[in-house]
Amino acid sequence: MRVTNKNVYDAVKFNLANIQEELHKANQVVATGKRISALSDDPVRLTESLHIRSALSNTEQLGRNISMGTSWLAASESSLSQVQDIISDTRALCIQMANGTIDASQRAAAANIVQNNIDEIVSLANTDVNGQYIFAGWKTDTVPFGQDGTYYGDNHAFTIKIGNDTTIEIGSDGEALFQALFTTLSDLKNALQGNDVDSIRGATTNLDIDFDRITTKISDIGSKMIRMETKEKIYQDAIITNTERLSEIEDADIAAAIIDLASRQLVYQAALASSARVMQLSLVDFLS
Amino acid sequence: MSGLGLVLNIAKTALSTQQYGIDVTGHNIANVNNPSYSRQSPVIEAKEPASYGRILLGQGVDTTNVVRATDRFIEQQLREQKSNELAFEEMEQHMKVLEGYLNENSQTSISALLSDFWNLWHDISNNPAGSAERVALYEHGSLVSEKFNGLEADLLQLETDLTGAVNFGVSRINEITGEIADINTQIVGIEASKVANDLRDKRTALVSELAEYINIKSFEQSNGSLTIITAKGCVLIQGNESYDLEMGGAAGDRVTWRSSGNAIVDITDYISSGKLGGWLTMRDEVIAKCGLDLNALAKEFIWAINNQHSQGVGLNLFEPDSTLTGTYLTSTDLDALDFGSEIQFIADGFKFWIEDRTAPANPVMNAVSIDLSGLNGSSSLADVATAINNQIAAAGLAGVTASVSGNAIQFTAGSDYAFGFSDDTSNILAALGVNTFFQGAGSGSMELNPVLHDKDYIAAAKIEADGSYASGDNTNALAIVDLQHTSTQISQWTCDRINGNTQGTVTTTLEHYYHGLVGSMGTTSSSISRGRDFNEVLVSQLSEIRDAISAVSLDEEMTNLMKFQHAYAAAAKLITVADEMLDKLLSTK
Repeated sequence: MRVTNKNVYDAVKFNLANIQEELHKANQVVATGKRISALSDDPVRLTESLHIRSALSNTEQLGRNISMGTSWLAASESSLSQVQDIISDTRALCIQMANGTIDASQRAAAANIVQNNIDEIVSLANTDVNGQYIFAGWKTDTVPFGQDGTYYGDNHAFTIKIGNDTTIEIGSDGEALFQALFTTLSDLKNALQGNDVDSIRGATTNLDIDFDRITTKISDIGSKMIRMETKEKIYQDAIITNTERLSEIEDADIAAAIIDLASRQLVYQAALASSARVMQLSLVDFLS
Repeated sequence: MSGLGLVLNIAKTALSTQQYGIDVTGHNIANVNNPSYSRQSPVIEAKEPASYGRILLGQGVDTTNVVRATDRFIEQQLREQKSNELAFEEMEQHMKVLEGYLNENSQTSISALLSDFWNLWHDISNNPAGSAERVALYEHGSLVSEKFNGLEADLLQLETDLTGAVNFGVSRINEITGEIADINTQIVGIEASKVANDLRDKRTALVSELAEYINIKSFEQSNGSLTIITAKGCVLIQGNESYDLEMGGAAGDRVTWRSSGNAIVDITDYISSGKLGGWLTMRDEVIAKCGLDLNALAKEFIWAINNQHSQGVGLNLFEPDSTLTGTYLTSTDLDALDFGSEIQFIADGFKFWIEDRTAPANPVMNAVSIDLSGLNGSSSLADVATAINNQIAAAGLAGVTASVSGNAIQFTAGSDYAFGFSDDTSNILAALGVNTFFQGAGSGSMELNPVLHDKDYIAAAKIEADGSYASGDNTNALAIVDLQHTSTQISQWTCDRINGNTQGTVTTTLEHYYHGLVGSMGTTSSSISRGRDFNEVLVSQLSEIRDAISAVSLDEEMTNLMKFQHAYAAAAKLITVADEMLDKLLSTK
């Protein structure tokens, strides 16, 4: 084929531009550490990486929900076990006061102890986590129990999401949990004040029932906490897996990228050298 | 006998022929860097011999013509490929801009904002009464809306820019066709006797430039003039006449052709290559699809959130003496509402709750189940208001009235009455824009419902069957959170300039739909880049072939220069010889 001056110069321009473009791309990969920097670099993987990022964000949120739930359940558990201690103490007091050797004035004094216990349980039932009352049902911004044990909450349980199709009750209907206990305690107080030994004896049975109810609740909380822990572990694993997958998709293999860059650099240098030589040659230089 | 005059005559023709040769070589050397130049060469022939007695003697040499080295077939192929390449090149450049708008490497990309949007609803469900969570969601909701609005505006701007480019292209095309028509006239005039090499080169260059803008086909007539037709067979140039393209259509964004009989033909969708082809494909296919899909997503997003939000109640009911105005307008019937087609005209439409606070210490909450079965798509807003008012009255309640204000529904509470909504299975509340989260019906118009300036009206709770509602109730917020992973039918567009825009649907989640849209733009972009690469190589190969035939080689020209120079010297020597012979004769005594 006839090779004209334009052929030579155009070929030099075309080839150098191509190599330079590739060199630029290789450099961009090394400089950003990313395999994908524009949408068009790898659209299929890009869509996948968007799905993963959204899933990651969602999982992290569910993780935050769980840690909130855990703090609520931990607060409930701690309050309820203190309530149980008080119930046990009260029961011991009850048995002691049912004894025939105790006189009316001693029983009246014990009534004050019971009142203190009521006050303490009211305060425990009014436990809040960051200003949200955990035993108020859905009325989380209302103090659930008055000093006299009146319930101002509602009969729902505060529920949060810990999975995309899993919800869990982390708050409680305070009425179902405490109302009977308050009744038992105030009956006991009245019985002590009224020196009514039979009623005092009867209170022991009621206290046992109340104690059992709280125990059931505590074990329910315990199993929920285990569930949440399991979920949390699953999420932590998912976050690690997804982060790794994301890195696989988006991040460049730096060693390979640098080798790629170096090889393109070499090609570019060779092209520059050969172009410079070819362009210099002309018959004009040899005619006098 | 031939006579010495013949020798001198031959020497003269030889000198002038070599002289022409050097002229042509010089012309070639001078045009070595002219990309549209075709190498010329003299056609040298021996003169007719003359008979002298019994012999025929040559009469010397003659330059009969100067011809261009050119291959019309290759030129045409090159022109067509170049036309394709430029279409891809323009698309690629604008695609880079579009990719920038859809950039995902930031925390403010739509997909990141959407993820955060759902997370903020999680936060509200974790603390429905918390004001910090409400403020955060409100601000983020505005941000999401603004992002959609901004992207929509960017796309529109891109379309406007492309129309501007097309407009510029059209005026350049008209200039070029005018010039070619002029050159046609000149060539026809000159070629009656000679060959118009350089004018032909100039015309070829102009035709190539024309092909850079638009797809053309050209035919040379026997008289040397060139006929050029473009999309839809419209004639751009015939002989010395050129026909202009114009910007037309209702929005002035269509390319039209005007015939000599003033008939106007819209050729926009048939401009397939050249810069115009690239700009129009970008505008009417790529960006159009992106805009329509984005709009479909925004519309579905608004509807999904609104429809769930309107089921709920905020921290407060809509208070005494307040008015609540719907955000969707219609001056005619319900079908004309943006989401009018979603309304179900059923008996148990929704529950309208009225709280009677005439005894402040003892408010009484009552519900009317609104029956919509008497209405239909042709009913007006006034019909809706009347139906609601009648049913409130029929239930023996009062204190809240429905009316129509500024083409929107409006509820007005009396001084001791508050109201709220629940259990809307008819979708009418969301369609009227009552108790909704967003207003607007697409990516450009999306905004937060102004009612939410009071963040207490973010409806995380629901009114229960007994009329109670609690600030810590998060059931509606949880239902909204569930929408993140709910698949819905969302319109998806296919834009084709010839076949028009067709609407299909996909069933997917809102986020995945957006990811798919970004992915499809990426795929389009990479296939445009591949198309550009492919055509670039093709053009480079064809150029190489064209230049091998037509371009100037300095080595060749230098050789020719030597060749003609030596021949010139020899011819000059011939004159010297003839001169000496004459001298010899004249000095004979």
